[in-house]
Amino acid sequence: MAQAPARVVLISSLSGHYTGGAKEFEIAAKTLYDVIRALEERYPGLGEHLEEETSVAIDGEIHEVGYYQQLRPGCEIFFIPKIEGG
Amino acid sequence: MDAKTIKPEEKALKIVGTRPVRPDGVPKVTGLAQYGSDFSLPGMLWGAILRSPHAHARIRSIDTSRAQALPGVKAVITCADFPEQKYEFIGPERVAVNFWHMTRNIMAREKVLYEGHAVAAVAAVNRIVAEEALKLIAVDYELLPHVIDVDAAMQPDAPLLFEDMITRGIEPAPNKPSNISKRIEFRIGDPEAGFAAADEIVEMSFKTAPVHQGYIEPHGCLARFDTDGQGEIWSSSQGHFVVRAFTARLLDMNIGDLLVHPAEIGGGFGGKTVIYVEPVAAALSRKTGHPVKIVMSREDVFKATGPTSGASMTVKIGVKKDGRIVAADGLFKFQAGAFPGSPVMNATMCGFAPYNIANVRSVGYDVVCNRPKSAAYRAPGSPISAFAVESVMDVVAARIGMDPLKFRLLNAARTGTPTAWGPKHAHGGYAETVQALLDHPAYKVALGKNQGRGVASGFWFNNGGESSATVHVHEDGTVVVATGSMDVGGSRASMAIMAAETLGIEYDAVRAIVADTASIGYTHVTGGSRVTFATGIAVVEACNKVIEELCARAAMIWDVKRDEVMWEDGHAKFAGTRAGKFEPLSLRAIAAKRAVTGGPIGAEASVNAGGAAPGFATELCDVEVDPETGSVKILRFIVAQDVGRAIHRSYVEGQMQGGVVQGIGWALNEEYIYDGEGHLLNAGFLDYRVPVASDLPMIEAVIVEVPNANHPFGAKGAGEVNIVPTMAAVANAINNAVGRRLTELPMSPPKVLAALDSGS
Repeated sequence: MAQAPARVVLISSLSGHYTGGAKEFEIAAKTLYDVIRALEERYPGLGEHLEEETSVAIDGEIHEVGYYQQLRPGCEIFFIPKIEGG
Repeated sequence: MDAKTIKPEEKALKIVGTRPVRPDGVPKVTGLAQYGSDFSLPGMLWGAILRSPHAHARIRSIDTSRAQALPGVKAVITCADFPEQKYEFIGPERVAVNFWHMTRNIMAREKVLYEGHAVAAVAAVNRIVAEEALKLIAVDYELLPHVIDVDAAMQPDAPLLFEDMITRGIEPAPNKPSNISKRIEFRIGDPEAGFAAADEIVEMSFKTAPVHQGYIEPHGCLARFDTDGQGEIWSSSQGHFVVRAFTARLLDMNIGDLLVHPAEIGGGFGGKTVIYVEPVAAALSRKTGHPVKIVMSREDVFKATGPTSGASMTVKIGVKKDGRIVAADGLFKFQAGAFPGSPVMNATMCGFAPYNIANVRSVGYDVVCNRPKSAAYRAPGSPISAFAVESVMDVVAARIGMDPLKFRLLNAARTGTPTAWGPKHAHGGYAETVQALLDHPAYKVALGKNQGRGVASGFWFNNGGESSATVHVHEDGTVVVATGSMDVGGSRASMAIMAAETLGIEYDAVRAIVADTASIGYTHVTGGSRVTFATGIAVVEACNKVIEELCARAAMIWDVKRDEVMWEDGHAKFAGTRAGKFEPLSLRAIAAKRAVTGGPIGAEASVNAGGAAPGFATELCDVEVDPETGSVKILRFIVAQDVGRAIHRSYVEGQMQGGVVQGIGWALNEEYIYDGEGHLLNAGFLDYRVPVASDLPMIEAVIVEVPNANHPFGAKGAGEVNIVPTMAAVANAINNAVGRRLTELPMSPPKVLAALDSGS
């Protein structure tokens, strides 16, 4: 039985530049690297943009983008703007 | 200061949560601690920077010949001594570093964009000669009209700082340039439908003043260059790795050719996450072959370093009669200063974050104007939007006749509540801060004439990210913990506590230090309340590696298998069936045999820590307003903040108290005052008044602990969210005292008097 795909949402307003405005995707993935590669394949340049300029919320937990992050089946992934503090 | 501990059974910790003596205390009180300006080298020159007297002008020419001819002057530099940078935004959107902008902020090129903008620099044999030489530099300026206020800067006919700047974030892109660098919008649900369903709607507009971080220590550094291109910098900053990266880029160096030593820091609050004097001193050193020191004056600090933004905002909240918020809308316009990069994105994300609101729109504008470029300041952006949102929350609560804390509790965001920017909250903690004040006896204390009480709440993300730590065991059983995190708020103490707790040894056996950029792995800035969380994880991981090694050494000493040894209470203990045959070995006993068991015992850990949990705070303020003078006296202030787990309780309380004090200054006194030509009139602490101890009551810190499971001890971060609610809490208290709603900061005596006189 196939693993439930991850729901992937691009929040960063600049991400739409790469996707022609598309913001939500379903991607079969076991790691965040799978997600980035899938998006890069569809929208060249988007993968690097996400790596360099966004953070990621995986089921609400905020991380810096890392290839190694494991994903549970059906998880929610939001690529959000990076936050810098004071 | 009683703690409100959510899970007391988790407090079976011996050192975490205590109050040991700070390791940096003695050198600081004896005056021996070395700050950025305390370093000197043989042959050192003094650098000085010529600054623009104009708010906005085109530079026609710069003649440095007379300055260069002055005896004692070794070099004069201008923008021509810095390589041009490509125009591109790199990195996180909030700060979106654009080196084309950064090099122009370090040293003006085509134009000066604010009074105090650096134009040229001199290195001379002493400070007096350097200052004298500045007077001999002739700059031919073409004066241009300027703009200070954010609303004025957004007008179509406003003077343009950049004639080709097209607003980002608008589709299709505008066809005319403006001062609006970026527009951002977050939206969930259907705000229009939400407002249509509301029983009451409150909409109000607000303005906040730019305020400076107000650190005591001005920016200062010493730079040294060798003829082989290798350089060193000693400077105060919130991140010596960032100083290295930015300076190397601006001087076209390899990162590995620049070594940055961390100095002690006399306050930063976000304002020392960027650079000003470091590349200038380094460029002068490279040109002269001598070490060069530059130290800013207080006037330089006010005129040329980042305050946080001033803002113009409109917030609208719709609510049902039963108190449930059904819609919210925020418009946040932020001054970025002379170059793009205000914290408006954070403001749009944080403003409504404490609440469970199904329909939200939050729009922000990043706007340049002729003031120094804004820099981060304690939860950047969040206090500004909170002033507007939490003021409106107070008005809404009164409109529907609800207690303002119960109104907030009813609408509190909890784990699983969607945020305005998309993901669901993965952590709670907000409701507990509200409940802590509801339960506090002070909330029920009656007030007198002209006295009033206000409450407000706030949200801040808290960050994780890249950090490195090493742990080394000495032969006498003491331990040194080195990290790459500048110690701004007590991190050496908290790292020592976490190491001691993990290793099972005494706090006094651990010495924590901050290592330079060549001696430890990359570590991101000390900002975003990230260090106790992220660097703390690195320290604990390094300690766990050391424990693994200690167990292996004990197994060797006992001649048993590694898996027959466990670590407990600072000792290796035999865990096999022959227990009792082997006396536990202390860390000290194992360390004493390090040579014969394999050599030095130590470990390094580098992490990119994820899973940081946000911080929430709720605050209570009692004030008394003098109707004759308009002066506002703070009678009582209580801050309840969820810190996850307080590692060093006194430092955590100090952070909470410090944030509130800065917020009180922001609320009541602090502002930049400009004349009609864009000159700053109050560039000093006599005229830019920060609160002093005699202005304040004891700030009561109520530590709320809802642990973050992603940290070994549950820490979330404690440094920033405490400032977020403060201005609104004060404004709400003033309104409660005298029935006047002040919507513009600072709420200084003239403004309070005007409000009282107008009856508005």
